[in-house]
Amino acid sequence: MSETQPEIQGLSYEAVYNGMKERNVRDSTAKLAGAHVTIAGAGGLGSNIAIALTRIGVGHLTLIDFDTVELSNLNRQQFKLSQLDMPKVTALKQNLQEFNPFVAIDTVQTKVTHENVQDLFAGADIICEAFDNPAAKAMLLEAATEFYPDKPLVMGTGMAGIHSSNTITTKHPRPNLYIAGDGTSKGAEGLMAPRVMICAGHEANMIARLILGETEI
Amino acid sequence: MVIVNGQTETGIVGQTITEFLTQRGAPLENIVVERNGDIVHRADFDVTLVAENDKLELISFVGGG
Repeated sequence: MSETQPEIQGLSYEAVYNGMKERNVRDSTAKLAGAHVTIAGAGGLGSNIAIALTRIGVGHLTLIDFDTVELSNLNRQQFKLSQLDMPKVTALKQNLQEFNPFVAIDTVQTKVTHENVQDLFAGADIICEAFDNPAAKAMLLEAATEFYPDKPLVMGTGMAGIHSSNTITTKHPRPNLYIAGDGTSKGAEGLMAPRVMICAGHEANMIARLILGETEI
Repeated sequence: MVIVNGQTETGIVGQTITEFLTQRGAPLENIVVERNGDIVHRADFDVTLVAENDKLELISFVGGG
């Protein structure tokens, strides 16, 4: 960190960088800063996961989503009324940069398909699935296993309704695959911030654990 | 005898993956099928037959995120 870096909020760049890391888990900061996580979907799961990873200083995030911000998103997704109709990836990047300016954030406004998985996830150390659509979730598991069997894939399924928080768990069915959620509750029940954030928290914590060398759930 | 998600099942040998999933009422597009440790590509669901002693793992997804 050289003295030529611009000040942030009237404080030196270095003071802000170091101050923001002060309460991180010991010896985690360098590993987190060296990691690249690609998040597929920037909705209820993706926006909350991205915020958690940004706050702890994961060095490089790629956000992928084809959609724009709608009113119905705002009961659980980390966007503002002032961001209506913006591409979700653009709005989310804007918010993330306010939380932590030291994260490199790439955005891709596209729909993830079997055909573009190989390109989209080439740079990722860890692949995070945060879609709404169950067929898209299945497609990504299939394609990621085909193209990137050695990259950890962290997924979510089942976080709808107002069921107990404690039914949401992280499962580890085979090496490099982690699936958070209750596994059964469907989006048609309604989706609300508290329970979606629990599932997002599971995914984000598993990703943090993987970056720090913990592969067990 | 076939093992499906750890449970023994009979009467499914010779079915295609599509037939097997449809009979269970499972929405095909939301499921990933592992057969003896390898993922069965969706395009092969109609031509892959369940064989004696197969071990199938079904990973199914629900909507919401």
